[in-house]
Amino acid sequence: MAANDIQPEPVQIDFSNELLSSPELFQRRSQSHKIPVRGQKEFLPNDSVQQMACLQKTLDEHWMLVTEERVERVGNLVNADWIPEEKLVKLQSPAGKFWQTMGFSDQGKQCLFPEEALYLMESGNVQVFYQDLPLSIQEGYESFLSDETVTLLQYQVFGHLKRLGYVVNRFDTRLPSLYKQQLNLHLSSNRPSKQPKRKWSQSPSFRPCNKKSTASPEESAGQHEGEIKTSVPYSSVEDPGQLQTQQAFQDEILKSDPELDSAPGRNWWTNISSQPQPDSFQTSVRYWDFSCIFFPDLGSLSGNCACLPPPDPSLLPGALQVPECHMAHWHRNINLKEEYRSKQKQQREQHRQRCNINDDQGVRRCRNWVEYLELVKKRRSQQHNKRLTYLREQEVMPLSQPGKCSSHRELLEQVNIIQSYDLLVANSRLPSSDQWRINFNVYQPDTEFKKSYPGKPYTRLCVCSFDGPVPNLHVLKQLSFQSGDVSVTFAVVDHGDISFYCFKEFKLPTDVY
Amino acid sequence: MDWSATEPSILSAEQHVESSECVDARNKTDGEKAENHTVNISFCGSTPLLWRAADIRKCREEVGVIGTLVGSLARQPRQNVRLGRPLEILQEEARLLVETGKATAVRHKELSETEESRLKAAELYQARLEQSYEEQCALALENKKAVLQRVISEKQNDKKGNEGAEQAVRERLESVEKSFSFPRSAVAVQLCTARAGFSHCPEEHAFLAADWPMPRDKRSETRFRVYKDLRRKGFYLTAAGKFGGDYLVYPGDPLRFHAHFIALCLPMDEKLPLSDVLAIARLGSNVKKTVLLCSPQDTSESGEEIEEVVYSSLQWSGIV
Repeated sequence: MAANDIQPEPVQIDFSNELLSSPELFQRRSQSHKIPVRGQKEFLPNDSVQQMACLQKTLDEHWMLVTEERVERVGNLVNADWIPEEKLVKLQSPAGKFWQTMGFSDQGKQCLFPEEALYLMESGNVQVFYQDLPLSIQEGYESFLSDETVTLLQYQVFGHLKRLGYVVNRFDTRLPSLYKQQLNLHLSSNRPSKQPKRKWSQSPSFRPCNKKSTASPEESAGQHEGEIKTSVPYSSVEDPGQLQTQQAFQDEILKSDPELDSAPGRNWWTNISSQPQPDSFQTSVRYWDFSCIFFPDLGSLSGNCACLPPPDPSLLPGALQVPECHMAHWHRNINLKEEYRSKQKQQREQHRQRCNINDDQGVRRCRNWVEYLELVKKRRSQQHNKRLTYLREQEVMPLSQPGKCSSHRELLEQVNIIQSYDLLVANSRLPSSDQWRINFNVYQPDTEFKKSYPGKPYTRLCVCSFDGPVPNLHVLKQLSFQSGDVSVTFAVVDHGDISFYCFKEFKLPTDVY
Repeated sequence: MDWSATEPSILSAEQHVESSECVDARNKTDGEKAENHTVNISFCGSTPLLWRAADIRKCREEVGVIGTLVGSLARQPRQNVRLGRPLEILQEEARLLVETGKATAVRHKELSETEESRLKAAELYQARLEQSYEEQCALALENKKAVLQRVISEKQNDKKGNEGAEQAVRERLESVEKSFSFPRSAVAVQLCTARAGFSHCPEEHAFLAADWPMPRDKRSETRFRVYKDLRRKGFYLTAAGKFGGDYLVYPGDPLRFHAHFIALCLPMDEKLPLSDVLAIARLGSNVKKTVLLCSPQDTSESGEEIEEVVYSSLQWSGIV
């Protein structure tokens, strides 16, 4: 293009036509503030005189409103200075009523954010000067609004809500006040119960990998609440000391595992009245081997354990002598009152007593719990195999098997292939996107708002354009995560027309329980 | 360039002489005035905005550019029912204005002003303020006198012979000249909406086509051709984001008429899933508007390329 090299001609602009003369200014002091009402719209233009007159009247009113300039008494105006380097507006005279909801103090100076100043300019409260000359609203738009401060889109939403009376603040994750606020919020609620959970959720490597899919709703809710705290800035640093202790604990358990298998366990049922077997304790010198720890059955109804064997002398300090313990005396002190049982329970109990587990030869052969559990598992699978061979032979297996569920709910959960996705369940590994961020906190107009303690916002706003993309699930999750327990609303601007949308999680109704 | 320093002085001189004529000049029917002034489109980011009332009026009356008012209304700033300047216009509207030669896109350019010119501008502003104060002071005095005069004439008309009261008012009228004071805080000042003459005037440059803040792609071309065609046919258009389309199409001025169509711009060769067509047609019938699928097409007739737009709409057939 040839024109590229040519310096464009400066345009001479006729500025004078919108400046008011003194008599006009004087007249405007007593001006009506009424807005003419627009009548019902019509369907089709039919060139009738009546319709034309109606249109002309509406247009006249329209132009009257559009042309009108702002005129204020000097006494009602707060003067301020635009500081482009700091992107702030500093007040020269004391602020007015707007100070309750806007502005902040910096080194004894009252400051306004550019968007606040611009809004106040538009509502005729503040006159902003730059280099000793007042800025017009056009200049305000052109100098205040930028990508570094607030964009035009964001300002349009800001102004829209401010005009409706909402209190609107910038949302800034880095502000310590937010941190404090969240801390306070949680202090007042049930904080202690959440504290350990948070720590747990911060070390996801220790979480059993299957936990996510099987976690009950309560559990996941708890996780979520715990995770919110991790989103609080400054607290998200993981505690290395704690990690180490957990690691050590895990190692211990792992080490003890092989011993578990090789440990010569003791037979509970044959040993009760016989001599203690010292060797069972010696194997676990360093670690507790829980498979070998012996607990006497004091409540046994059989009453055949008249006395307890003396403990292993190797476990006792010095020359301490502990004789056999006679049980009869203790039995008298045990609460032997029969507990109340439901009929069902009673039947089950009776059934269990009738077939005493100790009569079972297989069980008797077990030397410890591990062996017993294996036996039970084996038996159960045998039972299933017997019953369900025809199902197991097929390529397609049933999602649930008879006898595995005790309630409708359990069954529904088992046959549920696609797990519902909770928007708020934390996933801190999601990378954050730069394109989407929360812009404003919004507080309701009727509440007593305090700048020092803003409290919980009514909602948080993310401003976007109709021309831009729709936020994906990732973004939704990330933003709602950032927002914590406050909902996120999307303010979508379409050429000055603003609509508010929010994505709500929808739980499908499950009424069978 | 020292224009910025000299111009305001001329302005204030003119203001002084013509202050009474000023009103008439603005109320004059736009006829000749509108002819010789070009509309200035200024950009905030990539959004085209119109700031001056005369510009907005000219665009609506001559080109049918509707746009959306996005600022607070001067008369009643704390409501959203009626808004005020600036007027945000669609990219297509801005382009049409520029292409028809009605408007220039201008860019506000920060000039490295010299300290001297800056001080001079500030001085001029102060002088203007002072002058305005004096004028308003005189007007206020006139006003007060007029009120008192009216009271006297009312009393005279009464004819009830309340001489004492009338005399008291008369005395006040005489003393008011000496004792009248007009507090500075009562001076009315204008908070300019559009860039004002007395502020330090950064140079404004016309945009080059290459500098247009919105890139022109296939989609914007399609939209522009549809916009142009519908506008040529006499329809008024506004943005239709809320209705899931590109434009709302009005048979007359949107101030008085309902929109009839939702226009959806769609290149001829673009494939659209049936579900989308159904969805938007459903939406259209829900809001009692017809959905128009608008596709620009080039047809050559006797060697001449003619730009055309094909319009189609979807209707339920009624066969069950």
